Amino acid sequence: MHFPPEYKQRKERRLLGDYILELNQIDKVYGNGVVANRDINISFRKGEIHSIVGENGAGKSTLMKIIFGIEQPSSGTMKYKGREVRFSGSQEAINAGIGMVHQHFMLIPSYTVADSIILGNEPRKMKIFTDYKTAVKRTQELSDQYQFDIDVTKKISELSVGEKQKVEILKTLYRNAEIIILDEPTSVLTPQETELLFQQLTHFKETGHTILFISHKLNEVKRISDRVTIMRNGVDKGTYDADKISLDEMARLIVGREVVEDYSHLRKEVSEKKNILEVKDISLEQNGVQILDKVSFAVKSGEILGIAGVQGNGQSELVRCITGLIDYGTGTTAVDGKDITYLNIYDKRKSGLAYIPEDRMEDGTAGAASITDNMISTFYEREDLNKGPFLLLNNVQNEVEMLIDKFSVKTKNAKQRIDSLSGGNIQKVVVAREYRTEPKCLIAEQPVHGIDIGSAEFIHTQLIELRNQGAGILLVSADINEVINLCDRILVMYEGKIAGCFDDPSKFDEKELGLYMLGVKKQEEEQGGVHCEQV
Amino acid sequence: MSWADFVNSFFSANFLYVVIRVSVPLLLASLSAYMASLTGVGNIAVEGIMLMSCLMAVLGSYWTQSAALGLLIALATGIGMALMIYMFSMSLGAQPLLVGIALNTFASSFTVFLLYQFTNSKGSSGTLPSKVLPTVDIPLIKDIPFLGEIVSGHYLLTYVTVILLILFYIMLYKTPMGMQMKACGLNEQAARSVGINVTKMKLLSMLFSGLTAAIGGAYMTMGYASIFSKDMVAGRGWIGIAAQGIAGINYVALLVVTMIFSVFQAITNVFLLYDLPSELINTIPYVGVLLGVIFYSVAATKKHRQV
Repeated sequence: MHFPPEYKQRKERRLLGDYILELNQIDKVYGNGVVANRDINISFRKGEIHSIVGENGAGKSTLMKIIFGIEQPSSGTMKYKGREVRFSGSQEAINAGIGMVHQHFMLIPSYTVADSIILGNEPRKMKIFTDYKTAVKRTQELSDQYQFDIDVTKKISELSVGEKQKVEILKTLYRNAEIIILDEPTSVLTPQETELLFQQLTHFKETGHTILFISHKLNEVKRISDRVTIMRNGVDKGTYDADKISLDEMARLIVGREVVEDYSHLRKEVSEKKNILEVKDISLEQNGVQILDKVSFAVKSGEILGIAGVQGNGQSELVRCITGLIDYGTGTTAVDGKDITYLNIYDKRKSGLAYIPEDRMEDGTAGAASITDNMISTFYEREDLNKGPFLLLNNVQNEVEMLIDKFSVKTKNAKQRIDSLSGGNIQKVVVAREYRTEPKCLIAEQPVHGIDIGSAEFIHTQLIELRNQGAGILLVSADINEVINLCDRILVMYEGKIAGCFDDPSKFDEKELGLYMLGVKKQEEEQGGVHCEQV
Repeated sequence: MSWADFVNSFFSANFLYVVIRVSVPLLLASLSAYMASLTGVGNIAVEGIMLMSCLMAVLGSYWTQSAALGLLIALATGIGMALMIYMFSMSLGAQPLLVGIALNTFASSFTVFLLYQFTNSKGSSGTLPSKVLPTVDIPLIKDIPFLGEIVSGHYLLTYVTVILLILFYIMLYKTPMGMQMKACGLNEQAARSVGINVTKMKLLSMLFSGLTAAIGGAYMTMGYASIFSKDMVAGRGWIGIAAQGIAGINYVALLVVTMIFSVFQAITNVFLLYDLPSELINTIPYVGVLLGVIFYSVAATKKHRQV
């Protein structure tokens, strides 16, 4: 991909004093061979807000862990204030003046704000006692100094999410952090809280702090940062001045991928079209954050409807609402005209729903159980497999061997523990099992996430075959290409809403979809949203 | 004895003296369970550690002919066993629960084995001339009527326990160390993220756990009784674990719950004066604990439902 050269800052060497932190050729390879970071070169200026953007799994968090000393780089060097450093733990990074606000707060509900801030660096009196008076005084002063408006004698459990985040920031300030790393800080905040956070970040900039802001929300990034580094597949795709790069360019750099598969020749027209899965007005609120906002759509028989979106925009919650894995939230779901909203999971499945969960190890399989047991778990009650209270093990064995054969699961025998298989083969077992229930509607959530290309292609082919047989398939994926290649229609979710709807497979465009996924573009309701929902 | 005598016996100085006397091993068992759970390791071998310490106090003081050295040997035994839980679970990856069960069953049989080796008896160490720790009369206070009768004249380890209770309170609520230890149990990730040495805190908490259980054991054979008899801890370690389970992380609640259990134990002593089946009477402390746990659970469930 080519970009105007003026956008890309060459790796020019500046005087050392300009940069507070420099990363040179940082590589991170995990023990299992997963490459998280490759040849990362980023320099951070003192007193700037520097955003790191990229999709989930692009290696942002790993890089931050390296800076904060939680992970060690496999190779490469890090210079802090002009001197080469290597942090062997977070304590060393903290001592050096680097603070991190984790995405999941590191707080103890029963502690007061003051206690939480001082924990690990307590003021003392007579050397052994905690000086609570000084603690309260100093933390309150700190909070007031930065206009955080927090009563430090309150307990953490009494605080709102936004206030908890403030406490996390205060923790770094209390330890005199000069660099503050914020890992997706806005993902848990309401719009008002986000606004406030941005004001504070700007204030920190003025007081000389360097902010590392990790996000995949491009609007925010563009607004708040001075410079932006874009990461994709563990590689940094360059650092840009925020006011010189457009949202389009950013989006393109983030999602650009090569097209591999094409399944269009496999698709067959399915004559009878009716609504197989109808979802109406599903809303969900968690901790005051609107995760799903009146999501409605329908999946027809003989089609694959794709839900695209960057992870964390409500897709997985949507699936959990439909499948019944979480039962709060409002709205209704119907399969083939039958309302299944209030049925339990067993009855939902009986009504013709099948589900390939995103996490095959946690939700998809029982790791310690055999392939056979996992394979028949959705249809073990079938008549030809049972006689009275007993399972007909010969029939079960035949059935499982047939499926292993049909889905070409590579295994020694069916009695093997399922977690001894490779990811791709485990997923094939899950797909085979769901396929075998002959579902009216299949919900496939990231069905090929993290598995080899061969297995992925095989699974995709099976999904299309199921579609050709007249089933309705809801495919949820963060991978644009997967969605484009497989689906008959595509919905894009952004911040819990359907942001875009695309009906014509021949006009699917990766870059266009990318813009919707990242919230740069949005279809107004009258343009397409409504049209999509009322099929 | 009349009904009035019976009622009066609960309000006598003697009864309160007995409450304190029986409360010491229970308090130490509770402390042991509390200290271990504080950092999230957990110790269900309180019973076993107490039992081993009981015997080692007897054997140690018999070998050295010194009560002080006997006490030291008992303490070393208890701390060593607690550190075994720490080592097996933290360094070698075993489940603390399983290590605890192993230590409990081990202690129950191994004490009998040792007892037989040195006394040729499988029941008690009655033939072994072991030492006991002295009782202490507190000057001035011992002369105060009623109060003096209650708080003075206990065994040395009783007062050591009181001092320990106060020291632990100060540590937990007034020092950074207590705050950090609690943090380890409440949110280990959070503790780690601010640079607290979690491993060290867990080691310390197990050390305290072993120490308190060991003192509890030594008290049983160097004060409460002067000989070792088979399985003489009789569930006190478990009662301590139950008290900790009810009180959770609340130290004051831990002491209050343990004292309530102690009263049940003391009541047994009063009832034994009457012509009632002793087997039944001896169940009182355990029934008390069972009721306590049930009441607590019901209350907690109710509270949980309201929220």
